Amino acid sequence: MIGFILADMRRHKAGTLAILLLVAVAVALAVSVILQERALRLGSARAANAFDLVIGAAGSETQLVLSSIFLQAAPLPLMDGAVFQRLATDPRVAFAAPIGFGDSFAGYPLVGTSSALVAHLSPQLQEGAGFRREGDAVIGAAVDLAMAAVIKPMHGTAEGGGHTHTGIAYSVVGRMKPTGTPWDRAILVPIQAVWDLHGMGHAEADHAEAEGEQAKHSSAGPAIDDLEHSADPAAALDEDWAEHAAGLPAVLVKPRTIADAYKLRQEYRSGTTLAVFPGEVLTRLYATLGDAKVLLLAVAIGTQALIAAALLLVTIMHVAQRRRQIGALRAFGAPRTVVFRIIWCQLFAIVLAGIFLGFGLGYLASEIIGNIVSRQNGFTMPVMFDSEDIVFAASVVAFAAVLAVVPAVLAYRQSPAAALKG
Amino acid sequence: MLSLTLKDISVSYPGLGAPVLAIPHLEVGAGEILAVTGASGSGKSTFVNVISGLEPLREGRVDWSGTDLAGLAEHRRDRWRGTHVGLVMQDFHLFPGLSALDNVLLPARLASEASAAVKRRARDLLASTGLERPSQAVETMSRGEMQRVALARALVRAPGVVIADEPTASLDEASGQIVADLLVGLTGAVGATLIVVSHDPGLIARLPRRITLQSGNITQDSRAVTP
Repeated sequence: MIGFILADMRRHKAGTLAILLLVAVAVALAVSVILQERALRLGSARAANAFDLVIGAAGSETQLVLSSIFLQAAPLPLMDGAVFQRLATDPRVAFAAPIGFGDSFAGYPLVGTSSALVAHLSPQLQEGAGFRREGDAVIGAAVDLAMAAVIKPMHGTAEGGGHTHTGIAYSVVGRMKPTGTPWDRAILVPIQAVWDLHGMGHAEADHAEAEGEQAKHSSAGPAIDDLEHSADPAAALDEDWAEHAAGLPAVLVKPRTIADAYKLRQEYRSGTTLAVFPGEVLTRLYATLGDAKVLLLAVAIGTQALIAAALLLVTIMHVAQRRRQIGALRAFGAPRTVVFRIIWCQLFAIVLAGIFLGFGLGYLASEIIGNIVSRQNGFTMPVMFDSEDIVFAASVVAFAAVLAVVPAVLAYRQSPAAALKG
Repeated sequence: MLSLTLKDISVSYPGLGAPVLAIPHLEVGAGEILAVTGASGSGKSTFVNVISGLEPLREGRVDWSGTDLAGLAEHRRDRWRGTHVGLVMQDFHLFPGLSALDNVLLPARLASEASAAVKRRARDLLASTGLERPSQAVETMSRGEMQRVALARALVRAPGVVIADEPTASLDEASGQIVADLLVGLTGAVGATLIVVSHDPGLIARLPRRITLQSGNITQDSRAVTP
């Protein structure tokens, strides 16, 4: 029977291949939706894992997380530097790292922060050392710059009509190990330099106060500074936050205990500040993503249903074309059940091969998309199958098994005498 | 070898005034060789379908050595036909993509009856028909060679009866002659009853008993007129 089926497939190579590819593409579509959604969820969760609590100025929770964890350029309101000073000395806080963003270089986001965050993200550097002077920069593992490379920060982005700061040129002194987060694409510089460059350093602080409200937004949004200021790249690093801390869009906080985390979140969720657990915000995002996944899956399954209908039509036509052959098989004494098995096995084998190929193609497509996203956004998208995929695979295989019954029944019911006449 | 008794056979189709086949009585002895002739539309194909069990029968009896096909369910008729009937058809009904040997063995394989003895017999039969390359793909063969493969297939399970429906009609004269010789010779060698439906005068002439069908009725039986 197998020899007969293989011979028939060889005879109808083009048709067999067409059915196989149709099934493979339909399955790959659904598989890639499932894998992509999972990869995005896992990747983003992993990216957020390094940060327990994010505190920023009152505003959008989602935007705060997207900007501080995923380094998406967006205007964020600035928070008073005193908030950071309080957090830095709070006994419930293991460490608090300021982050100031809005500048970029060669498409990589420049993030002003403290040496504590560098040590938190990469306890041991891949090469070089951490900040010692205001002009030092530590780059993420995926930043394509050499050690000692000169970085002239651009305010905003080139695409967004930004301009290059002339007040400082950083020099790469260290490279972090890969973290699998968007921070792999970040250039970390001392926050003091960012403040100085934007006229918020020690010298300018009094002047700014005198002028009343200075910038109200981080530099990704409305201009933080109309005038070009400068920072001294050779100035020694000063991380005495009690001495001076200017306005900043967010502070990444590592609480000492879970209880501390909840207390801090509660305390900083009122008035002018906003405290969020990134995981909590992501969960809400996942719920939205989940809805999108349902929609995409519905489209993918709709496509599968259409292809199933097309396959059914093709196979019924194929059985009609093989009418005489099937009639001859019966005439020569092949039992009806054998005829049923031949037709069922042949179609099922082709569809099964298509399903396997579809899973492979779906995985491959997801890997490629994941790599592109990784390159563009920095965070790793782990593409992997899960045990729940077995249920999906089993459902598709079961559907194929049922689908193959239709032409097999038609062949089973065919009268051999009538088939031979036709 | 099997004997055949047809009794009160009547096959009708809706919309047709008269039965397409009506045989009150016909006896074919075990091992007998019978030619069935008649014009197109005379009921020859229906006759083949009825006696081979390809068509279910509503009226009458088709008794093969005590087995009435009219009383058998379809799957039982299939099994009986596979075991007892060797069919040779005008269009060969070989399966492209398979070799000559695989074609000969296909019905036996599908019925799970392809024993070592059957395989040996298949090779012997192909050799007997003059085909020296059993592994040759059938689609590369001449029509005469194809019919020889079909003949070997009909005989491979040593059937009790061989039913040939226009076995030489699609062949040239020389090939037809060879196939006719093989059909009679090999069927005789296995001792099977042979029923041949044909228009071929050369083939008909060499068969000892001939019946003629006209409008579904037997109008002439050589055994009846020649004692």
